[in-house]
Parts: sequence; C-alpha cells; structure tokens
Amino acid sequence: MRVAGRSEVRLDIVDKVTGAARYASDAVVPGMAHAALVRSTVGHGVLRGVDTAVALAAPGVHCVVTMADFPDVDPFYGEWVRDQPFLARDRVRFIGEPVAGVVADTEEHAHAAAALVVPDIEPLPVLGSAVESLAAADLVIHPDRASEDPELPNVCYRSSFEYGDVDAALAEATYVHDATYTFPAVYHYAMEPHAVLATWSSDGLDVISGTQQPFKVRADLARIFNVPLGQVRVRAPYVGGAYGSKGQSKYEPVTAAMARAAGRPVRLVISIGDAFHTVSRHHATIRMRTGIGPDGGIVGRDTVITYDTGAYADKGPRVARKGAYRAAGPYRIPNIRSVGLSVYSNRVPAGAFRGFSTPQVVWAGESAIDEIARHLGVDPLGYRRQHLKRRGEPFLGDDSPLDADLAEGLGVTAEALGWGSSVPTGRGRGLAVGVKDGGGGAARSEAEVRLHPDGSVEVLAATSELGQGAKTVMGQIAAEVLGCQLADVQVRLSDTAVTPFDRGTNASRSTIGVGAAVERAAEGVRRQVCQAAEEVLGISEGLILDGSDIVVGEHRQPLMELVCASRKLPPEEIGAYSATGFSGNPTGSGPLGAAAAFYEVGYSAAEVEVDPETGQVRISRFVSAADVGFAINPAACEGQDEGATVMGIGHTLLEELEFVDGELVNGTLVDYRVPRTTDLPDDFRSILIQNRDGPGPFGSKGAGEGGLLAVAPAIANAIADATGVRIRELPLTPERVWRAIQPVEPQES
Amino acid sequence: MHVDLVLNGELTAIECADNELILDVVRERLGLTGTKRSCDMEVCGSCTVLLDGLAASACTTLVAEADGKELVTIEGLSDGDELNPVQQAFVDHAAVQCGFCTPGMIMSVQALAMDHPDADDETISEYLSGTICRCTGYVKILEAARQVISE
Ligand code: FES
Ligand code: FES
Repeated sequence: MRVAGRSEVRLDIVDKVTGAARYASDAVVPGMAHAALVRSTVGHGVLRGVDTAVALAAPGVHCVVTMADFPDVDPFYGEWVRDQPFLARDRVRFIGEPVAGVVADTEEHAHAAAALVVPDIEPLPVLGSAVESLAAADLVIHPDRASEDPELPNVCYRSSFEYGDVDAALAEATYVHDATYTFPAVYHYAMEPHAVLATWSSDGLDVISGTQQPFKVRADLARIFNVPLGQVRVRAPYVGGAYGSKGQSKYEPVTAAMARAAGRPVRLVISIGDAFHTVSRHHATIRMRTGIGPDGGIVGRDTVITYDTGAYADKGPRVARKGAYRAAGPYRIPNIRSVGLSVYSNRVPAGAFRGFSTPQVVWAGESAIDEIARHLGVDPLGYRRQHLKRRGEPFLGDDSPLDADLAEGLGVTAEALGWGSSVPTGRGRGLAVGVKDGGGGAARSEAEVRLHPDGSVEVLAATSELGQGAKTVMGQIAAEVLGCQLADVQVRLSDTAVTPFDRGTNASRSTIGVGAAVERAAEGVRRQVCQAAEEVLGISEGLILDGSDIVVGEHRQPLMELVCASRKLPPEEIGAYSATGFSGNPTGSGPLGAAAAFYEVGYSAAEVEVDPETGQVRISRFVSAADVGFAINPAACEGQDEGATVMGIGHTLLEELEFVDGELVNGTLVDYRVPRTTDLPDDFRSILIQNRDGPGPFGSKGAGEGGLLAVAPAIANAIADATGVRIRELPLTPERVWRAIQPVEPQES
Repeated sequence: MHVDLVLNGELTAIECADNELILDVVRERLGLTGTKRSCDMEVCGSCTVLLDGLAASACTTLVAEADGKELVTIEGLSDGDELNPVQQAFVDHAAVQCGFCTPGMIMSVQALAMDHPDADDETISEYLSGTICRCTGYVKILEAARQVISE
C-alpha cells in the first residue's frame, strides 16, 4: 500500500499548530448576538415562575426567554427516553439546569443580565444519588413518566440478559466470589466547552456546533421546531475534544430557540464551570457474583449494575443496556445473568463517555477474575488465558464471532511488561483486558468522492474531527483506493447540507462505517476513470493518478485530456467523476438487536509502587495494547491509545465528581484534577496489534476507546500484588489506598 | 485607558477598560482566535501567550499589564508559511489531536526552550505540567518538546 498504513502528516495539523483552526467557539457571523443561560441553584423543585423584568431592562439586552415563550414547540430530547426540555418547564431537577436564556449585544451584557433573572422555585427534597432514589418510594423525579417498575418509580430504564441457569450454576459451584465495586462519576473535560451558533433565515435554521452527531442534532431540531429536515443545516467545525460529551443534542435546541426569539443569529459559548454541569460519566455500583467449578472453570456469573443517570436520561438507557450486555465479559461462562439499571437522581445528567458503560463493568469483571485467580492460587495471566473466549466464538448469545485472539493479545501485553520475571522489591504487577462490541449497532453511513479533471479530489464525509484524525484517515482511504497522493485530497467533514448521512462520530465507528463508505465511493470513481482509460487508451491495469496526470504503465497523460476525450466535451464543460458509497453494519440479530460490527479490545498491564507512608501510587511501568486490525495511520492510532490510557489513569487515580445532596462540590479544574504530564507512568509503551481482521477498509477496526477500558483493574490488580490489599472503589487516591493498607486492628468484642 | 504594545511584532495601540483581559481583547476585538479559553482561571494553560518572552495566562492577565511590552500569540510564531521550530516539532511528532490545547502548549514549550535551553526530561515534564491536554496523553507532546530542546 502506498498511503494507507503510513503515519501521514495530519491534514489538520498546520491549522492547529498555527492557531488558524476554527472551532464553534470561534465562529462569528454578521449581526450576531450573544447568549447566557440562567441556571437553577436548587437541586430539585417546582418552578413556579421566572421574573425577567429587571433583566429585560438591563443594558444591551435583546430578549430574555423562558419555556413560557415557546408554547408551540416540543422541547424534549434524549436518546430512547425523551425527558429533557431545553429549558426547565415546571420543575428543576439538578443544580445547573437552564431555566432561562438572555440574548444581548455582548457576552458581558448577557451575563450581567442573566444575574438579574429571578427564578421562583419551591424546593422539593433532593435525591442525591441513585441509592437514595431507589429507596424513595413516594418522591419521584419524573412523576409524569411512568417507570417500568411501579415499585421503583425512579428507574429510568432497566435491561437484562440471561443465558443458561445462573441460580443452579451458582448453587452447585464449589466457590462463589461475591463482591461489589464502585466506579465514580467523572467529567469529560473536553477543553473546548460547548459552543453553538444558530441563525434562522428564509433558508431555514443554520447551526454551527461542536457536535459529534450533526445528523442526530438535525433530527432533534427538526422535530422540536417542527421544520423539515431539509431546512435544518448543522455544521461541525473542528471540535475541541468531546469524548462523548458532545453527542445528541446539548445546547443546540436552546440556542436555536433564543435565536428565534431574538430574531437574529445567536452564539452561546458556555464556561467550563457550566460544562461540568452538563453531562458526566455514570457513577456505577456493580455487584458481581461469579461461580467456580471444581476444575477452576467459571460456571456462572450474575451481575447487577446500577448506573446513576442523574436528572435526565440523556444516553443513560443505552448505557444501562450495553453495560448489562458487556458485564458478561470475555470469558467462557455458560450461565450468565446481567441486569443494568439506569436510575434517576438529582445530579448532573450522565451520558456517553469514551468506553460507554464498559469501563465500569470491566473494572468489576477484571478485578473479580484477578481475585478469583489469587484465591485459587494460580497465575492471573495463565488463568485468564485458559478461560478467555477464543477467536470465532460469539461474545454472547448469537452475536458476531470474536474477531480477536484475546489470549494472544494479553500474552503480548504481559510479555512487554516482563510478566513472569522477578518483580523489583516494593512493586507489584497487574493486568486486565477489556472488550466492547464496537460500532454502536446498526446504522447506515454514506459518503461521496469527487475527482476533478485537474486531478484534485474532494471527499465528503460526515465525520466530526474531534481530534481522532478522521480528516486524515478518510483522505488516506480515498487516496489509497484512487491511487493518488494524499496531498491532492481535500476532505470536507460534517455539514448536513453538504456531506451525506452518517449517524454520528461515536462508538469508534467512523473508520469502519464512514471509512468503508469513502472506500466504496472512491472505488466507484476509480471504476469511471478506468473505464475512460479503457475506452480512450485501451488499457487501465495499474492506473494511478499523479498530480494532474494519469499514469498507466509507461503512459502518462493529463487526466483532463482523458476526460475530454472520453466525454467528448471541451475542458471547461466536462464536470467531474463522482460517486457515492455507503456501508451498513452487518445484518443479523444478536442480543442487542444487531450483530456487533467488530470488537474493540484493549489490554493493559501495569507495574506499580505504593508508598506505605502516604498511599501514593506510582506507575513505574505501563503497557497498553490496542487491537486495531490495521492502522491506517499508525501515529494517530498510537495517539488514541496513549490518550485513552492517560484518561483511564485519571479515573483510576485522580478523578471523581463529588456530590453532596445532589450538589457538585468540586466542579472546577482546581478541585477536580485531571492527569498532567507529571502523572504519566515512568515508562509507558503502546502497542498496536494488527492482524487485518476487521470489517473496515484494509482490515481495520475502530479504535480510540479500547485503551481506556482496562486501565483501572490493571492498576488495582498491581496494587493488590504489591500490598496484598484489594480495593474495590475508585479512584485509588492516596487517602483511600493509605487507609486500605493500614494493618487491621484486632477487634474488641 | 490607552495601551501601547508590540503585538506579534507590530506596534499596536489599544483603547480598553481597566479591567479588560488579554484573552478577551485578542480573541474578541483583534480577531486572534488562536489563543484558546478553557478553564478561565489560570489552571489549564490553553490561553498561554508570551509577554516579554515569559509565559503568561491571557485569561487572568490584564491588557494594562502589557503596556509597553511585547506580546506574542500563537499567530505571531510562524513566519509566513514557515513554521517555527516548536510548531514543526509538534508536526513531526503528531503531537496534536483536537488541537484546542495546542496553541497554549506550543507557547509553553516556546517559553520552556527560552527559559531552560538545557532542560532534562524531568524539567520538561515539570514545566509542562501547568498545561493540560486531555487528548494526547502527553507522550507525543513530550517527544516534541525534547526535540525542540535538543536542537
Ligand atoms: S484558560 Fe487561561 S489558563 Fe485556562
Ligand atoms: S489535543 Fe485536545 S486537548 Fe490537547
């Protein structure tokens, strides 16, 4: 291959190193006004009214809106469960929930006026966590929405999977490991906060937003404002980080509503403080019981996962479903039962976050398997390798066969860490594997490729450039197929009026979904060029494009001449070659309703040292391996794996959103610590596993989430190895570790 | 108030209020949007600019403080199409993903190289610990910084 498989310089990198790159928060249009939101300072209450009079009279203010200004719209959005209005209607359900919006001539005026808006809220008791919500029988967060289970009125969604007879298996097991693990709520901290610019005109609604899902946002806006899809345009420029926080609608509906009310373009750029109050990763409590047979085999696993989805569903229902499914884990277990609950509370809503429900269940599953191996007195690597599913076996039920060799991948990772060699004194080693069905379910992706007669190429593909390198990878795929140089390819991303349909940039699906569509579109164009060459020159075998020329064997000629000759038209009239391509995830049923497109697998191995005086954990060595099938751009794949790993180190050692009675008390970057350069492992290696066994172009798989999945259990397992102490609660802060490693005082009776 | 400074090599006069911050003025008034706002409280480093050669957080530094000084933003680093060595190192090491931290990160590495031309790995890591990147895991950024120092 000429272009694919090389670490080509990213097509967006010069823009990004020179400051020329434009993000939604940089967008400006003539006549634009600025918006600020008024947010609830009450965690749960009845919204009796909003006094806007003083704010309306403040300098520079164009309008102040509340939900009362939009009697004609259906204000709700959310995936599967549409329960979140873009401004609070009759209730507020979390601190930080928008209750009113102010539009003014400057950002400063908008914020000053927002401080003058007075919401009238009658407080209700607060349900500060999922635990409290499950215990509350007569305090209901969404009283107008029937729960599936009348006994548990605050359950937003429940999902379960059952295979075999778990109760019998656990009853007959010679050993049942029963443990409860908790995973903290954490914040994405995309460094660019959410930003939206909305304009209404005779062309309809035009929205510029740093979104991962422009077509989903378009559908939400069309429904909410009752306008046809064809009159809503959503564009995503460069996105300053997302990691799940910018999926489905976030601030697009409220900004469009303010723009409609103000009668002019409106831009809303929220602060990081407000982004902390927008969406988070689900806090989860995972109770897992695992039965072991007389030969050491795993006979059954019973898991209940309680995800705290906060005040609104967001993607919580899907998180609960996928989490329950993935809790089964990558081992051969004949009897499985998993229940996933998405539970409302008066916390910041929880939604998608890199790994989507999986880091929580991998934390439990890979800690449990290590505890079991240690209980049995066997090597955790050997035990895993013995019981991991084999390539070709389905992950669960009738789902797609596993497309990875898990035992081998784990072995490669362990070997790179030096597993089996003597461990330096005071240190311990641990490893873990995480598997996630990739691709996010059945969806269609479309793309278009155009070859202009001067040899330049345009790729139109609705992927958002979140930093993952989609622009470059789509270009490399097209260049490889067309036989041209990457430098001749222009990739245009995410504009619903220009780029064909795609469901969204999430679930590590772009390369296998949109990438496959680009590949097919490029093949379509190549066929047209080859056909012309056959007609005009009588040969097309091995044709490549070199700048503005075509080259077939010894023959070189301007493409322009070929097109003119074949179309029998003068140069200025000949148009371009263009083709569209599409892809859909594999058909078939599968327990989730659609077979997994591929499996995203991440392996982690850690060597740590625990300071007995402070409880501080130092990661002396870390190896991460990602099974990417084929790395179209190896440097970008490595970057994804490194970034995912370090993000995983964040929730393992540092990060936790702390709530007191539903109130987020550490919602600033001073109080909420994300990893910095000094938190990196002393020695860090990232390995790409490439067997060309994926469904994407050239055998690629999706990537970007795998590196995060297994970090926490690998580190906790290493701590257990170093200290003999097992900790089942994240993050592993010095205080928590120090407390855990204190010698147990003899109990007085 | 009236402030005279050299902005990216050009004498520039700015009329502004006493309490205006460099970040607001360069982004909103002068259209230099390369300098990014994230934390807005001098924690993340994404708004880093050079003030008389020293790294400064534009989100907490008043324009008044730039009076009579030389201010360099990311837009002032490259010479036409010619990238400066720090920018080139970021390109060479693919040390960029979403790019939102990148301008601040590049300015920090630039300041590091001027401050500590012989920095060892530990100094580099310590120095850059004031600038957050949520995407890359820092591995390639540190490689780029080491290249700059070694050149
Ligand atoms: S925005 Fe200035 S340091 Fe974060
Ligand atoms: S590249 Fe995204 S924050 Fe650094």
